[in-house]
Amino acid sequence: MLLREVEYARPASVQEALRLLGANDGARALAGGQTLINVMKARAASPDVLVDLADIGELRGIELGSDGTLEIGAMTTYSDIIGSAEARARPILGEVCNQIADVQVRNRGTMGGNVCSNDPTNHLPPLLVAIGATMTIVGQNGERSVPAEEFFLGVYMTAVGPGELLTKIFVPPGKGDGFASVPIGKDGTCIVNVAASLDGGAPRLAIGCVDAVPVLLRPDSAEDDAVRAAVRSANLDPPWDVHASADYRRHLAEVLALRAVAQAAGRT
Amino acid sequence: MEAVSRKTITVGVNGEQYEREVDARRLLIHFIRDDLDLTGSHIGCDTGNCGACSVLLDGTLVKSCMMLAVQADGAKIETVEGLASEGELNGLQQAFSDHHALQCGYCTPGMLMSATALLRENSSPSEEEIRKAIQGNICRCTGYVNIVEAIKAAAQ
Amino acid sequence: MTETTVTPERPLVVEEGDVKPGFIGQSVPRKEDKRLVQGEGVFFDDVKRHEMGYVHFVRSPYAHARIKSVDVSKALELDGVYGTLTGDEVAILTDPFFELSTPPGANIKDYALAVGRVRHVGDPVAAVVARTRELARDAAELVEVEYEPLPHVLDGEESLKDEVVLHEDAGSNTVWSGVFDWGDFDAALVDADHVVRIERLHFDRFSSTPLECSGCLVEYNRGTGQWTIHGNHQMPGVGAIWMAPALRVGIDKLRFVSQDIGGGFGNKITLHPQYTACCLLARKLNRPVQWTEWRTDQHTANTHGNERTFLDVTVPVKADGTMLGFSVRAIDDCGAFPRYEPLGCIIWAQVTPGCYRWRNVRVDFTQVCTNKSPVAPNRGYSRMQHLWLTERIVDIVAGELGLDPIEVRKKNYVKHEEFPYETPNGCIYDSGDYARCLDIALDLVGYDSLEEKRREAESRGKLFGIGIGSTLDSGTNNFGQSMILNPELQFSGNNEVATVKLDIFGEIVVTLGTVPQGQGHETTASQVVAEILGCTPDEVNVRAGHDTYWNSTAGFSGTYASQFAVTGLGAVKGATEKLAGEMRQLAAAVFGCSPDDIELVESQARIKGNPEAALPFMALGAILNANNAGLPTDLDVTLNVRHVYRPPFEKPDLERKYGNLTLTYATQIHACALEIDAETGVYEIVDYAAVDDCGNRIHPQIVEGQVHGATAQALGAATHEIFTYDEEGNLLTPNFYDYHVPHALDMPPMKTGFIESTSPFTPLGAKGMGEGGGAGIHAVCAALQNALGRRGEGPIVWRSCNPYESVWDLLQKPEETRKLVSVESR
Ligand SMILES: Cc1cc2nc3c(=O)[nH]c(=O)nc-3n(C[C@H](O)[C@H](O)[C@H](O)COP(=O)(O)OP(=O)(O)OC[C@H]3O[C@@H](n4cnc5c(N)ncnc54)[C@H](O)[C@@H]3O)c2cc1C
Ligand code: FES
Ligand code: FES
Repeated sequence: MLLREVEYARPASVQEALRLLGANDGARALAGGQTLINVMKARAASPDVLVDLADIGELRGIELGSDGTLEIGAMTTYSDIIGSAEARARPILGEVCNQIADVQVRNRGTMGGNVCSNDPTNHLPPLLVAIGATMTIVGQNGERSVPAEEFFLGVYMTAVGPGELLTKIFVPPGKGDGFASVPIGKDGTCIVNVAASLDGGAPRLAIGCVDAVPVLLRPDSAEDDAVRAAVRSANLDPPWDVHASADYRRHLAEVLALRAVAQAAGRT
Repeated sequence: MEAVSRKTITVGVNGEQYEREVDARRLLIHFIRDDLDLTGSHIGCDTGNCGACSVLLDGTLVKSCMMLAVQADGAKIETVEGLASEGELNGLQQAFSDHHALQCGYCTPGMLMSATALLRENSSPSEEEIRKAIQGNICRCTGYVNIVEAIKAAAQ
Repeated sequence: MTETTVTPERPLVVEEGDVKPGFIGQSVPRKEDKRLVQGEGVFFDDVKRHEMGYVHFVRSPYAHARIKSVDVSKALELDGVYGTLTGDEVAILTDPFFELSTPPGANIKDYALAVGRVRHVGDPVAAVVARTRELARDAAELVEVEYEPLPHVLDGEESLKDEVVLHEDAGSNTVWSGVFDWGDFDAALVDADHVVRIERLHFDRFSSTPLECSGCLVEYNRGTGQWTIHGNHQMPGVGAIWMAPALRVGIDKLRFVSQDIGGGFGNKITLHPQYTACCLLARKLNRPVQWTEWRTDQHTANTHGNERTFLDVTVPVKADGTMLGFSVRAIDDCGAFPRYEPLGCIIWAQVTPGCYRWRNVRVDFTQVCTNKSPVAPNRGYSRMQHLWLTERIVDIVAGELGLDPIEVRKKNYVKHEEFPYETPNGCIYDSGDYARCLDIALDLVGYDSLEEKRREAESRGKLFGIGIGSTLDSGTNNFGQSMILNPELQFSGNNEVATVKLDIFGEIVVTLGTVPQGQGHETTASQVVAEILGCTPDEVNVRAGHDTYWNSTAGFSGTYASQFAVTGLGAVKGATEKLAGEMRQLAAAVFGCSPDDIELVESQARIKGNPEAALPFMALGAILNANNAGLPTDLDVTLNVRHVYRPPFEKPDLERKYGNLTLTYATQIHACALEIDAETGVYEIVDYAAVDDCGNRIHPQIVEGQVHGATAQALGAATHEIFTYDEEGNLLTPNFYDYHVPHALDMPPMKTGFIESTSPFTPLGAKGMGEGGGAGIHAVCAALQNALGRRGEGPIVWRSCNPYESVWDLLQKPEETRKLVSVESR
């Protein structure tokens, strides 16, 4: 509950934030804090400096482009997404955000924070991989764009390097999506979750909680057999924990993949 | 702009302005409870799961153990102490009592703040909506049955 | 989701109590609420003192290790650190807490901090005090402890082998063991047409985890040598019995104060080690010290409920489904230290045959230590584990023999006309009608359309099951049962105290010996007082909370073991009746009439039949307290009376382990309908009914609230709440992420019903009912069993907690659990 000593700054621009992050190796961005503050309470990690992104207006907001692409600021909260008319351009986004934890967490937790923390049980990493989102990362040396499937590198590790910031998430248009999970209790932590999208032609499936990063699968078709075969040939080697053995996770991955695809198929 | 480990912050709580110097590491809940001595908001966990510390921050429901006091600099906070006026319970508080929605009362302040947030947005919530709105508040005594009833009654 | 309260047509009020109907039985507004809904309650963590220091405990990362050295020097160098305490100091300054067991358990040495060895992850090794909470934790991280890890044992059965021994002084991990043998089990076996054997059942570790964690603020007064402990100990009387001798002081040196407590459920009964450490620190540092336990600390190192393994369960059954009893070998795992144990080794015997007419019972009971967090009397203490066994027996036997679980229950239940019913071990079940409660429960969940529901669920690909949990909530202990465990213990009977006075302006002021944590004692006490004095509950001031110096207490004062409605209110009733007598005497003296001519009505004492001749309570208070010249010299009234309620108990027969162990038996019969997603093992409770019979209900709303709460806790325990350890002895569910308690969306629709079978043995015809007996756990297990397979084919639900994966496992490998049962038919 009690944090180690830390320094705090709340810059008003991305540039200022980058400067602060660059000035100290132990600096970390603070978004909604719904993971980071917990980590600091447990003293599992103790950054020297927190760079609070809350005042950077350009990081927050949802815009619907003329081609239907959604441009979502990293500091956009789940509640922002749920309440946004624009975000309905990709309905699954709001639906999944509405399953994350509870009102309080949804009011603070951000899209950017969710993917940057890359907790393997989080909801958004597999979702963004399945729906083919693209992330914009900004550093001292400029800006780059990374597809979601290349964004997640390991448990709590992403393509956002030291001193860099995730600024935007681009989500292409579509509605043929599905999401299925087995959480611990309603709206609890996921034991396994699977996102599916049938919009980009070939099905895209991303399985969460079974590896350090979402496992992206591209079955030949949305038929049950094809989906099942894709999951099996992925040879998943999921971690075990107090909630589930590796076997159970492997089994759920298959069942939930079928359900996510079925849901997606019902919406195309 | 430089990062600092101690800072003077100004927050309005239940309509009153407070200025205090705090460590950057101080959690908002400890600032409220220990520094401002507003002990109505409680602490029931150390991982942000229980909602006993829930307050409204600029009108938005948050868990005050999940942020630093310095993050609230300049904000307006509402806590359970601000619900009644001059000792007169508001409708929601009265409904909690009428429906026996509290036993030990430890979760109650957070529960009331969550219900307040809900009713401001939705004046006639369904049972499902009520349950969803208090999903982030754990109660170990009541099984939620009477809490849901009380919120329903207050909405009417 | 809707909540329905079903009031039976004709409540079974067998006889009218000796108190006339009035406020008792009404859901009057709760007195506690006004402060609590405004955030104006005072919980221990709200109490502050100038210059107080914050305590942080340094805890063991090992399940079992020798402490080679503890070096606090770096911590002491940190600016803002006030001081430290180590196990070595504790060993010098205190004596070990007394143990309740006979040897070997009696020889265990338990101190406020680990001395020489740590015995579970989280065991406190040292304590640091600093100016702020954060600094105290910083400093705790600077304490250097050198450990030599030792082999550890985490499993009760393994522990029995004594290959790793936790407590050298005891020389064995066995805390207590004994055989209980009632009736003639061997003859029953011969008599039986079928013998059903169950190799193993396991009741998992969990705790009702009150939302407020433990803690205290301790002040020490050097002048008087007294400590004031502002805390949330739920049984301070017993806390003091442990602490005072350990601190080598008289019991009067410990003052416990609490106003509001954020739930207890038994988990706040064994806080004496932490409190003793705080007392030592307050004295050593000469400043108030404050300790707040965090959630993670509570889960890893405070208390859990007893974990119990049942082996070789043998059940003789007649051809018609009559069960003759059972035998079992029970191994109870109490974690690293017994503390309140071995009381759990006898408490279950209050409900030896469960709700059933079983006459032949043999239980071979052993309690052992393991390198896990210690246990405490978690809600439903020890009876819940045992009742779960009885309910599992009924369902498994029914399943194996192809009997209807409802009919088998009805056949074997104690019958309404048999009350008061004496169990084979001499307990007296006071009143009840189990079959009727079951019928109401079945009605509430629409049992008649069961097959329809099953087919409908199956059409959606779901497995449907329904299950019953029938339990007893035994209340008001006869502490004489502790002597069955240890004849040296000089405890028996029970008592509780209340004082009631009429003050100078006519205020009626009540103090209780209890330590409420949400049970509404202020409210129900005021109802009883108002009823007897002829005023309204609003006019009765019941002092909130507990203060050892302020409230009168009796030896067994406290809030535990479902007894307030009997002992607490019994004391209130007795005291108020005495006060009423004095008020009549005083009024009679003023009016010059006989006390018998005086009645107390409308907050006045007046001459019967003459409402003009009336003295308001204020006048009575003023006359006696401030205007008493001229009163007859022989008028012996104080308007300030104390009453100790003592339930009628005999000492048990220690040789036969026989006697009445508890005064009342409330009934809880639950019915649960659930659906399992066979592909994933995920299940959902789709219908739920809880029927309660706690005799005369003083405050129906409060009773119902207790039913809801106990049910929620039981459903949590049945589905997700489990304290699981890894091989190294680390708790894997140390917080509310991994230890998933029910949230609002997790709770099923809940229907409640009740009957009232007046207790013939209690002052108000009421029975204690707060613990609830864990009926929800039993009902969920039964419903799972029912859904997973019928007629001796499906898997056996053999654990109390069945998370989704367990259910999936049961479905995948039914043969693995089927092996656990066998039937021998003659
Ligand atoms: C009780 C509870 C339950 C939860 N349950 C779930 C759940 O079921 N599913 C789920 O998905 N999540 C869950 N969460 C986590 C929650 O969704 C978090 O909000 C999320 O994981 C992190 O988002 P945040 O905005 O709070 O980020 P923070 O906690 O502020 O940051 C997380 C990490 O990301 C980094 N970071 C944040 N933003 C950026 C950025 N723009 N650029 C670079 N780095 C950045 C931070 O430095 C930090 O390392 C739960 C949280 C709580 C408290
Ligand atoms: S104390 Fe804030 S969520 Fe539990
Ligand atoms: S009333 Fe006790 S936790 Fe809710």
